[in-house]
Amino acid sequence: MKLTSSKGYKQVITWLKKSKKKPFKFQTDAWQYYAEGYCGLVNAPTGFGKTFSMFLAVVIDELNKKIETEKLTKVSKSKKRKPNGLKLIWITPLRSLAKDLARAMREVCDELELDWMVGVRNGDTPQSEKLKQKKQMPEVLIITPESMHLLLAQKSTFNYFDELQCIVADEWHELIGSKRGVMAELAISRIKGMVNKHHPERLLRIWGISATIGNMEQAMDVLVPYDDVLKTIIKADIEKKIQIKSILPDHIDMLPWAGHLGHKLAHKLLPIIHKSKTTLIFTNTRGQAELWYQTLLAQDETLAGQLAIHHGSIDYELRNWIEEAIHTGVLKAVVCTSSLDLGVDFKPVDTVVQIGSPKGVARFLQRAGRSGHSPYETSKIYFLPTHALELVEAAAIKEAARTQNIESREPVVMAFDTLIQYLVSLAVGDGFDDKQIFFEVKQTHAFRELLPQEWSWIMQFITTGGDSLTAYTEFSKVSKDEDGLWKVESRQIAMRHRLHIGTIVSDAMIKVKYLTGGYVGMVEESFVAKLKPGSSFSLAGRVLEFIMIKDMMAMVRKSKQKTAMSPSWMGGRISLTSNLGAVLRQKYNETLDKQHYDEELDFILPLFERQAKVSHVPKNDEFLIELINTRDGYHFFAYPFEGRQVHEIMAALIAYRLGRLKPISFSIAMNDYGFELLSEQPIPLDEANIKDLFSPKNLTDDIVASINATEMARRKFRDIACISGLVFQGYPGKYVANKHLQSSSALFFNVFSDYDKHNLLLRQAYDEAFFQQIEEPRLAASLHRIQRSKVVIVKAESYTPLCFPIKVDSLRDNMSSEELSQRIERMTAEAEKKNQRRR
Amino acid sequence: MTINCRGEELILSKERAIYWPAQKILIISDLHIGKSAHFRKFGIQVPGTVGLTDLQRLTSLMNEYSPETLMVTGDMFHNKINSDADAFLEWRRSYPQLKVVLIKGNHDALKNADYEALGIEVYNKELLLAPFRFIHDKPKEFDEYYNISGHIHPGVVLYGKAKQRLKFPCFYFGKHCAVLPAFSVFTGLAILKPEEGDQLYAITPGKVVAV
Repeated sequence: MKLTSSKGYKQVITWLKKSKKKPFKFQTDAWQYYAEGYCGLVNAPTGFGKTFSMFLAVVIDELNKKIETEKLTKVSKSKKRKPNGLKLIWITPLRSLAKDLARAMREVCDELELDWMVGVRNGDTPQSEKLKQKKQMPEVLIITPESMHLLLAQKSTFNYFDELQCIVADEWHELIGSKRGVMAELAISRIKGMVNKHHPERLLRIWGISATIGNMEQAMDVLVPYDDVLKTIIKADIEKKIQIKSILPDHIDMLPWAGHLGHKLAHKLLPIIHKSKTTLIFTNTRGQAELWYQTLLAQDETLAGQLAIHHGSIDYELRNWIEEAIHTGVLKAVVCTSSLDLGVDFKPVDTVVQIGSPKGVARFLQRAGRSGHSPYETSKIYFLPTHALELVEAAAIKEAARTQNIESREPVVMAFDTLIQYLVSLAVGDGFDDKQIFFEVKQTHAFRELLPQEWSWIMQFITTGGDSLTAYTEFSKVSKDEDGLWKVESRQIAMRHRLHIGTIVSDAMIKVKYLTGGYVGMVEESFVAKLKPGSSFSLAGRVLEFIMIKDMMAMVRKSKQKTAMSPSWMGGRISLTSNLGAVLRQKYNETLDKQHYDEELDFILPLFERQAKVSHVPKNDEFLIELINTRDGYHFFAYPFEGRQVHEIMAALIAYRLGRLKPISFSIAMNDYGFELLSEQPIPLDEANIKDLFSPKNLTDDIVASINATEMARRKFRDIACISGLVFQGYPGKYVANKHLQSSSALFFNVFSDYDKHNLLLRQAYDEAFFQQIEEPRLAASLHRIQRSKVVIVKAESYTPLCFPIKVDSLRDNMSSEELSQRIERMTAEAEKKNQRRR
Repeated sequence: MTINCRGEELILSKERAIYWPAQKILIISDLHIGKSAHFRKFGIQVPGTVGLTDLQRLTSLMNEYSPETLMVTGDMFHNKINSDADAFLEWRRSYPQLKVVLIKGNHDALKNADYEALGIEVYNKELLLAPFRFIHDKPKEFDEYYNISGHIHPGVVLYGKAKQRLKFPCFYFGKHCAVLPAFSVFTGLAILKPEEGDQLYAITPGKVVAV
């Protein structure tokens, strides 16, 4: 039967007509493919009803099925609601999305008189609600990948999925590049396995919804790796109009050369806020958000009560209230972080402001899409630079957006830590059959290359605590029960494991609570440790006075002070993407040539002229190196414009190659534009050897020898140790009394390196370091480009506009070719000198 | 490295121990025997070789100094007796003449009978051997005795020019109190910030250096 003539389809169309709506073509396409049993990926701009493309597909299918069964059985319609069981699992990456999705879906169900419940399950869901779901699952469950694993870590899980028809991974582009994506892949493989076993006839459909990324095909393949299903990508051919405008100061000198706050331009933001209905102001970090909130209030007191702040460390209730207030249009502006990045549809929002570089085209467009959410409306986004050079980035982003030069998201593969966590989760739940699970895991994209010996190592790791040679009698974690299933027997281990499911590793967080009651949010433990009673800090836009730590909570009261320091939250720094880097180099070209239409580039011209005077402005086909001597030592600056991450490796590589010329120690700094090598000795570098230094020859060997691979892997191992359950980070705000099991990932890293070299987790740390951190192909490509470029070496008198931001950046690494003992001797000698001076 | 402390000569070994030649006492702290097994019992995979390495290091110290007494200033065992303790028992049997003295630390929760079986003389709080007081954690009030303690697993960060940074375990010698580094390799570090008059000795892979 044709879908369009089915009753369910007609019912939905009639309902849409009533509210004067018509489905887009990609939506009807999706419904059709779904009805035919396809799996796949839907790609459409925000605001065009991506949600409905899948949700209504399931609804239509169910309406049709219901009509069929009613025809067959003619059951007397009793008033009492009869639950149907869980039909649709809707995976969302963000908790904040769930509520709005549920609201939208419930509306549809009400209006279609479909007797469905829509439930939400994630870290914010109250225990009572979870218990209710345990007794009776709603028909639709909106869930995070972590909560899916928690669900699998419960007893008799299959009952939940008995009626399941479809799994949708919403905002798949957000998940695919992270270990959370791997979690989703694994959970789907298990659920599919269970459904297949009990209902081999059923076509379990798996769909993804994704914004445009560079690798759509691969994204689908990761989500639906199965060969035995029909797959398709549905792409909406609708274009979203986006208007990008930079906020410029009156004069270039008002913009600092370096920095990341940008609050000097706050006064320029106020008219924009007043002119708009509701403005979302995106910052890159939580600390920055707090500062901006304070700054805006200080500059315009009329905003009090109309300005809110929203980020991941703010208490759930508070965030809820803010989101609600955005919906109702009470708020004039909200300062936020990536916490509001994703698909929440806030109707009143008509303006978006991005503070500082968004580092990537996709992220910027995503944020722009938060405004003008309804179809055919133009999204308006303002870019507020935090330092002068960021204006070039603005121009580059505009260009990239125009040409749809959007980044790919590389899926994570062979994440052994996540696999170990998953297996223990299953063992905590119903237990697992290793043959069956190996088969399922092997089918996922992430573990396609998993070798039998790796699998058996992992099994040994969780059952005997080591490899076969060193089985420990007292080790207890996962063991085989009489049914031949691998299970966790110890309740204590099971409980601890459930508390730690997830792959987002944060520093220990402490809840902040008013003396009078009520939570404000969370701050890092290390930050609280620095506070003295009576000192003030700001959180959630409030200035708070710290009183004491009680029950592992920071007790506070409102402070009389107007401003205070804001806590810094650690977080990964985002690196400039290669797409943006390439456009950026081109823009550097255009600035001095004046062959462009970008007002940003005109504006920054004086700074470029200054750079040209004291040093040089690199053209697209040039590679600039600056050598500067200061009191700190000998500085070497290079500007490949490849993003922080590539620069980190390149800097280490060059340091290593210089070290082969003579023993020398460097400290390394970098930003998205270039890097610095700083040494107390003169650097053996000249025109003659520069191309050799940056040669792509022997690249792999030199990388291995140069980067302190150990140090880099050690950093990666921090997350791995937490995810695989070696180290407990403690739940945010919850104190886990496990003092006797306290240890650190660094300790484990050393122990494994010294005594268990074949540990797969150790290998994973090195692999992650190599593939994610080092990005060898990208590094090689940029070295090749440098070889083709004209090298310009400038000996500058003092810091130049280009090197200044690198100088200010404090993220530093060490690199040395000297003997450790030599270094120590020198360091102690210096320390002594300092001491003498003090005396 | 040999230092003078309250008129007594003390040798600081890079194997995280102090030797007091006048009394023929080898002093170590925070041995944490059984920590790796304890972790394994709770489902955390720590290689067993960790504990064995500690004992091997202890053996090499015995060979170097031939002490009459081994003094442990606390945290000799990690919570309960387990398979790692068997390895220690074996080690203990190979030194029947050696006197082993333990000042109890917060992790030492073995039964008295267990200590007896292992041939360990136990002091609950402290042991006075002029001019020193051996104690697990430094006391709140100071007197004429100079305290030699452990507990905190001290470490030190060395800074160089051009913002370089290295981290090592260390010995701490303050006005009233010395702190030994943790003997076990399976321990973390608490970074110390020395005050005026404090002396730190960093343990680098090659040797002990005053910083």
